[in-house]
Amino acid sequence: MSSLALRPGHYPGAAYLFVLLAAAFAFATPDFASARNLSNVGLQAAALTILALGMTLVILTEGIDLSLGAVLGLAGVVMGIVLVSHGASLPLAIGAALLVGLCAGALNGALIAWAALPPFIVTLGTYGMAQSIAMVLTEGNSVTGLPPAVRWFNEGEWLGVPIPIWAVLATLGVTYVLLYHTKFGRYVFAIGGNRRALELAGVRVRLYLAAVYAYAGLLAALASFIMTARMNAAHPTIAIGLEFDAIAAVVLGGTSFEKGRGGMWGTVVGALAIAVLRNGLNLIGMSAEWQVAVVGIVIVAAVALDALRGRA
Amino acid sequence: MIATVQRLPADVAFVVFSRTAVVAALVALLAVASPHFLTSDNMVIILRQAALQFLLSAGLTLVVLTGGIDLSVGAVLGLSACVGAALIAKGFLLAGIIAALGVGLACGLVNGLMVAYVGIPAFIATYGMLWIAHGLGYVFMKGEVIHGFDPAFRALGAGFWAGIPIPVLVAAVLLLALHIVLYLTPFGRALYAIGGNPVAARLTGIPTKRRLVQVYGISGLLAGFAGLVVIARVNAADSGTGEELLLPIIAAVVLGGTSLFGGVGGIMGTAMGALILALVVNGMNMLGIPTFWQAFAMGAIVILAVLADVSFKRRYS
Amino acid sequence: MRLLSILLAALIAVPVPVLAQGKPKIVVFTKNVTNPFWRAVRIGADKAARDLGAEVEHAAPTKPDNIEEQTRLVEDWIVRKPAAFVFVPVDYKALVPSIQKVNKAGIPVVIFSNRMTDVDFVTYVGSDDETIGYEITKHLVKSIGGKGKIVHIDGVPAAITAQNRKKGLERALKESPGIELLASQPGNYRRLPAVQVFENLMQRFPTIDGVVCANDDMAVGVAEALAAAGRGGKTKVVGIDAIPDGIAAIQSGKMHASADYSGHDQGYLATAAAIRHLRGEKMPKDISLPVVIVEKSNADQWAVPVEQKPAPDWKKVIAAQKM
Repeated sequence: MSSLALRPGHYPGAAYLFVLLAAAFAFATPDFASARNLSNVGLQAAALTILALGMTLVILTEGIDLSLGAVLGLAGVVMGIVLVSHGASLPLAIGAALLVGLCAGALNGALIAWAALPPFIVTLGTYGMAQSIAMVLTEGNSVTGLPPAVRWFNEGEWLGVPIPIWAVLATLGVTYVLLYHTKFGRYVFAIGGNRRALELAGVRVRLYLAAVYAYAGLLAALASFIMTARMNAAHPTIAIGLEFDAIAAVVLGGTSFEKGRGGMWGTVVGALAIAVLRNGLNLIGMSAEWQVAVVGIVIVAAVALDALRGRA
Repeated sequence: MIATVQRLPADVAFVVFSRTAVVAALVALLAVASPHFLTSDNMVIILRQAALQFLLSAGLTLVVLTGGIDLSVGAVLGLSACVGAALIAKGFLLAGIIAALGVGLACGLVNGLMVAYVGIPAFIATYGMLWIAHGLGYVFMKGEVIHGFDPAFRALGAGFWAGIPIPVLVAAVLLLALHIVLYLTPFGRALYAIGGNPVAARLTGIPTKRRLVQVYGISGLLAGFAGLVVIARVNAADSGTGEELLLPIIAAVVLGGTSLFGGVGGIMGTAMGALILALVVNGMNMLGIPTFWQAFAMGAIVILAVLADVSFKRRYS
Repeated sequence: MRLLSILLAALIAVPVPVLAQGKPKIVVFTKNVTNPFWRAVRIGADKAARDLGAEVEHAAPTKPDNIEEQTRLVEDWIVRKPAAFVFVPVDYKALVPSIQKVNKAGIPVVIFSNRMTDVDFVTYVGSDDETIGYEITKHLVKSIGGKGKIVHIDGVPAAITAQNRKKGLERALKESPGIELLASQPGNYRRLPAVQVFENLMQRFPTIDGVVCANDDMAVGVAEALAAAGRGGKTKVVGIDAIPDGIAAIQSGKMHASADYSGHDQGYLATAAAIRHLRGEKMPKDISLPVVIVEKSNADQWAVPVEQKPAPDWKKVIAAQKM
């Protein structure tokens, strides 16, 4: 079961939005379509896309994860501290960060799946806790003095393609296989659509549900490497609010909050649409004050159109 | 099991009882831990902060009862406050108040229309409104601060009457009014019904779409009102007003036992939730705990509260 | 969908200003669009552009002080190839890679208000935060007779301005053995958080002789809180920035003093430095503005709307620098 739409009427709003924005900006300023800018946009969207892919699975199960931005910050901070204060090797630090993401996600998953607590509240709670821990560890400061190897995550290349793009592609690949070619993926869709039936069929629903959140946490940690490399510093609050953008990307991409419908490709287009919107508004020189309102209007308008067509 | 109105006496009793117990425990703990805690001055401060928190969360409670959410509360508060401030600072007190309430109401109605008639999920609709309200606030204020309001207006946020801070009195009146509306009027019952089972609600003749628009409108109106109280408190308004408030606003509602799925909870709970938050923050400052830990405390408390509620429900229903 | 496309295209195709021939375009970065301090910076920058014949465009993150957004803004602006960057980092460490990219693109950078290291820049324009923290604390200490208990309300802990101002405060306190620092808590440079933190501190400490606030936005709030509690006369409050609100509070006696951290002058001088550099003039590596304490006796000079503030005298300022 693939969500790749084959007929025009079934493309999510994000697809139209993306094409429209790209065309409009390309027309408005020559800077937009330059190679440098397009590669910038791709890189700028990388962390958001990875985060949004994890969020897609969560929303497919009719859940939500408000803690991903804080978990990203915490994972980055842990990696930074392990590297700088403890002089550990890079692989060890990476492992520590991934472990943080995984554990945070698992905690969310356990509370949601076994204690049956509402995802909104659980992840709101873990958001507060993760942010606090990150702030306490760093006293609100950036962690700097990272070994130069860290910058590879953002500036390195392999076969001429930047590493962040590889990270996105790898995440896409893994998520694609998970969602569309494994039992796990089928259950993810089913938990959202008809959880009761699954439980009655004897499937260990709670385990899979918890795993979804653990996966989202893991991806948040992965995204933190890119952001830390970009700033050459780990900052506790660097991604606060990014989870809202991720949710917007998922919804724009056609994944519904309530029916277990949607999929991965829509999310990617949604994330790109948001990145293109922000980039384009900067390039045409729209002042920050107006940008804020315009972003809100565009997101609402795009989702409204989907809702009116019966897809939200 | 789907009930349209879940106001079982046991649920309400549990919420009030458990929250009161928490409040009592916190007060006892802090009174022991810090000599300055149990002073009348400190109690006044706690009540005033709790009252402000309640005003912010009251409208959101109504929205959540219908199974919705309003992420734009803080931003709408800020925008209304700025518009009101612009007029009040120039001496047009009544016009300023009406303008602030009007802006809040308008934003709320737009939210309601988006959710009820266009069918945009409340999360996205109000998230979009958050950005729009912030943006309009920035454009309106142009980075300036408006300060210096009429002392009569400032009393709304900073004044006293018979020794009680005015915001506390206002909050008490609002609490009573909303409680009556929720429990004794068809409008209130309709909110619970919509939250419990929207389809059944519609089938029993409740004009669900209209009610939703109204409830989001009320949420916006109350946000505008809260904005007036905030600027009266700090005697200034700028486009950042209302920005940092989102987490506590939702926390107070959740702590109060109102379920995010809708149909369960009430305004008394939110008042207790606001009080608990104010106690926690005050207590942390009294004990000299670094402010970085406050978010942790709020997050942990929220999870524990919901855990308690869910466990109770499971055992007794 | 068609309607949306027309609307959006119209919105975007509103003619992008064609670069006026001969007038260099400079981008001026500020930390946010909410704090009036940065508004003063932008007004100063616009004045300098007008006086010296250049064009200025402003860049600020939509989410105040957001690191990731400012990083994106820098990257997007590099693509637009302005003649120069006038820049203040929202985080002086995290923005280093971005400014290094600007260096690599060959665009000159003038940094103001928050120092940065490991990047190339034409000049740094600013007041020295450590000195400001030191001077304003010393001023407060003197005004309470060298003995007493004080409280410190800090800014955003990660901000270098806050860190350096705190260092200045600590240096001043080392020289003042009769002063006890009761508490130091962050108010994050915002009024409402500062008021709430301070109110709680007022309960904890019945006697507070003085309060040092890392900026005026917080100081005015603290002063109001004291007045509301009837403790205004017994506690002296000082702040930094000399914003209009603070000046009014000083004139009315609610606040004791503020250190001028002139956003207007910084914006003007930083932009002027960028324009003059483009013309080939040599710049000192550092352009420091002197610390001026504003109190009741001289507050009238500051009670002028930002737009009407006189432009700083370039020659005089440069002459005062150690070249």
